[in-house]
Amino acid sequence: MSGRETRTLRSPLTDGVVNVLLGLVAAVWLLPYLWMLSTSFKTLPEIVRAPTAPLPSGLDLGAYRAVLESMPLARYFWNTTVMALGIAFTQIAVALPAGYALAKLKFAGRGVAFGLVVATLLIPAQVRFVPVFALLAEVGWVNTMTALILPFGVSAFGTFLIRQALMSVPDSLIEAARMDGASELRIIYGLLGPMLRPTLVSFFLFSFVYHWNDYFWPLVMTTDDAVRTLPLGIALLREQGTGVRWHIVMAGNVLLSAPALAVFAFAQRHLLRAVASKA
Amino acid sequence: MSFSRRAFLALAATGCAASTAPPGRKTAPLWFTYGGKNRQVLEGLVKTFNLSQGEHWITPIYQGDYFEGLAKLRTAIAARRAPALSHVVGEVVPYLAQADVLEPLDDYPGARQLDIVPALGQAGSWIGGAERRLVALPFNRSTPIAYLNGKLFAEKNLAAPKTWDELRAVARAFTHDGRHGFGCPIDWWFWAALVGQAGGDVVEPDGRVSLGGEAGERALDFWKTLVLDDKSMKPPPGRDYNAWEQTNQDFLGARVAMIWTSTAFLKYLEENAPFPVVAAPLPAERRRAVPTGGTHWIMLRAAPAEQKPTAWAFLRFMHETANAITWATRTGYMPVTRAAIAQLEAEGYYQKHPNDRVALDQLGVARPWPWSPDLFRVQREIVQPRLEGAVLGGKGTRQSLDEARALATRWR
Amino acid sequence: MRPSRRFDPLWMLGPTLVLLVVFFFVPLLQAAKSSLYEWDLLTPPRYVGLDNYRALIDSGELGHALSTTLIMSAVVVVGSMALGLGLALALNRPTRFAGFVRSAVFSAYVVSWVSVALLWLWVLDADAGALTALCRALHLPTTHWLGNPKTALYALSGVTIWKIAGYSMVLFLAGLQDIPRSLYEAASLDGAGAWQRFVNVTWPLLRPTAAFVGTTSLIISFQVFDVVRVMTQGGPVRSTSVFVYAIYEQVFLNLRVGRASALVVVFFVLLLGLTALQLWAWRKKGAA
Repeated sequence: MSGRETRTLRSPLTDGVVNVLLGLVAAVWLLPYLWMLSTSFKTLPEIVRAPTAPLPSGLDLGAYRAVLESMPLARYFWNTTVMALGIAFTQIAVALPAGYALAKLKFAGRGVAFGLVVATLLIPAQVRFVPVFALLAEVGWVNTMTALILPFGVSAFGTFLIRQALMSVPDSLIEAARMDGASELRIIYGLLGPMLRPTLVSFFLFSFVYHWNDYFWPLVMTTDDAVRTLPLGIALLREQGTGVRWHIVMAGNVLLSAPALAVFAFAQRHLLRAVASKA
Repeated sequence: MSFSRRAFLALAATGCAASTAPPGRKTAPLWFTYGGKNRQVLEGLVKTFNLSQGEHWITPIYQGDYFEGLAKLRTAIAARRAPALSHVVGEVVPYLAQADVLEPLDDYPGARQLDIVPALGQAGSWIGGAERRLVALPFNRSTPIAYLNGKLFAEKNLAAPKTWDELRAVARAFTHDGRHGFGCPIDWWFWAALVGQAGGDVVEPDGRVSLGGEAGERALDFWKTLVLDDKSMKPPPGRDYNAWEQTNQDFLGARVAMIWTSTAFLKYLEENAPFPVVAAPLPAERRRAVPTGGTHWIMLRAAPAEQKPTAWAFLRFMHETANAITWATRTGYMPVTRAAIAQLEAEGYYQKHPNDRVALDQLGVARPWPWSPDLFRVQREIVQPRLEGAVLGGKGTRQSLDEARALATRWR
Repeated sequence: MRPSRRFDPLWMLGPTLVLLVVFFFVPLLQAAKSSLYEWDLLTPPRYVGLDNYRALIDSGELGHALSTTLIMSAVVVVGSMALGLGLALALNRPTRFAGFVRSAVFSAYVVSWVSVALLWLWVLDADAGALTALCRALHLPTTHWLGNPKTALYALSGVTIWKIAGYSMVLFLAGLQDIPRSLYEAASLDGAGAWQRFVNVTWPLLRPTAAFVGTTSLIISFQVFDVVRVMTQGGPVRSTSVFVYAIYEQVFLNLRVGRASALVVVFFVLLLGLTALQLWAWRKKGAA
């Protein structure tokens, strides 16, 4: 690694000070979550009495029970996972041939096609949702898994990543495969796909987590529990009017945050790799 | 239609109110927008309905608060996925009726015999409501009432204020040491109450949006006086139902001695306050006046035809005396049928719970809304944002209301 | 390479282009068209020309959405970039502790916006929240963070910065690690102090990264919705009614699809303009 301060600046004192500061930084990012966790195990009287007490007086699971009773949690979880998997898989399946064509093949209109793909980075969901909603309503697909997956079938970011990765694959490899009689389809999915595994895994995880966490699109495209996703369900916990029951909201929040944090804990490297590959 | 005890017990054992319907039942979804305690009562009633007969099954689905739920309802109608049954605030019913999305209910079996309290049903809630096709049945109907901290009021030996001047004095009396005397969400509903009390109407019967004219200004000025001059009124922050929530919490925490909010929170406040809660009617200025609130049941025309009889069966169930009583007494909303009220009176319920009587008695001075399809737009887009700006942001009263009136007349 | 069959690019790019056209470009054009109509989703649309734009300008809603969004964006972009850069510089060391802190900071980026919003709704609660308690303990003034029209927008900006600082940090770290150590050694041999090393070596080489971070942070900040919806619903007194939230409100709460589309058009043009401006500004200062 490079780019660090030179040795002349570092002394045990500076190091100590920096470590304390870094500890504070870590606290700013970790303490809220710990407090959330702690709140989720408290009872309502406890919260009213001493909301900022760092530890709960006991591990009361009442809040979690209330969350489970007030919503079909398993169904939301399932919906969200199916949706995120569907999107991530579709994106990769669609982006592989597209990235291949854009990286490796010479044909008229290639620049235009690439430009169109990149241009979509500037058309966020909030710009598209009303007409897409109207279109899906017309064909009766609102409140279906299709409405949640299909509009995200293309990922400009993914196409870009794959193209980038493929550009460093030598042409000779592909030509050799062609001479062996492999069809382009086979080359793309059978040869190049596996070669790109690190990139694809990173992208898959990134897209999966991103869409798993999505709130806006499911909010707009779903109307009842059939395909409602977890972020929506948990957001509904902040019921108004008769006192927010914070322990329940926090319990729901723990359940919502846990999967993303788990993926992060196990696959940090891959996620970081996806994020850090730049334009 | 027989229904074996075993099947009943088996179903009861499954517990969850929103479980899937047993085979052979006709089902219909009910979209509701309550949280907390009132939600539990509703879900309990749905469960009772489902278990008490063998033909129909209602699936309740929670959709957030009124505004969120309304948004989803409209979305669903537009997407042709409307539920059979839901409930909406009164201000939006004329609009939905005009857009022709509501199922007319007159011809359903037993519709005309429902014995609804006139002021709560369609006939009394809107001017001219009786002449139109029946599209709305009362569900959780309320009026704004005043809640007093019984302990504090007893200590100072003060009674509920009956006029605006008395309210001002009482509010000032309690404002000291970080406590406020009065709290009220800065909301269209309470402003409409004040306008009525000041002698005006928000929308004239002919549809003209006058915003109460001079009465509207006096209503807004009254709030400003309390908040900005006397500083005896605590303005709750947040928007829509956050503000109502905050008002309740302030009352329960004894940070505010007297609040105005819906009778809907009566049971919640009574059960959670560490002091006696006294309900009282709103004061008068030129006259006594309150708007009605809460929601009405509606059935959607676009829902599948086979769901409608089930939805109707549930509506009749909710209008049965016992169920109307359960709903009203466990929440604080008013009983919607005359038979229910009569029974409660006969049982001496109101002697034991005088607070429940307050909203009911106020019905005599309740002012109906005009049947105006623009009403909800006036409320949401034009008036509500300006109320906040004037009271919390210090903008000029006349200017705010003039602006609002000008905007309203520029439509259609 | 030449395609092995002439129409190969067609089926390879086909799905991508079809989906792009159907779900990106056509909707964009349709939004532009809808902005000229009055439509409530329940009844047929009615042509009104530029009335929607006029109404949005007259009611001040457009100006308001612009100012709210721009203020928030400015605070978020500058804040998260500065914080991200600072964290990257401080955490660019191989110790395990630094690795732990990096993970802690980045973890906020991985969870959902709803998760962050609910969490901070509780932390920022005026009565029971940890921030208020902390301020009281330190004898600092407190306010109703989310309920005071003067502070709400900044509170939301702070929450947004908290969530995305990790993203800037990771990108800056990658950029820092690309800078050859020899340049630093050469500079310190010339007698340059830490600050001068930063200005003359680090910053110029970090420019492309900064440009990328700036542009993507801008796009993220423009799309902020979840925190507004969950925490303040556009209030108090509309002080947090950013563009995307205003669009959502127009469609679903006011049932004015035409107006919403007009907002969408302005939003898109604004985003396009600002992105171009950003890229131009970073490029102009010259890459190494």
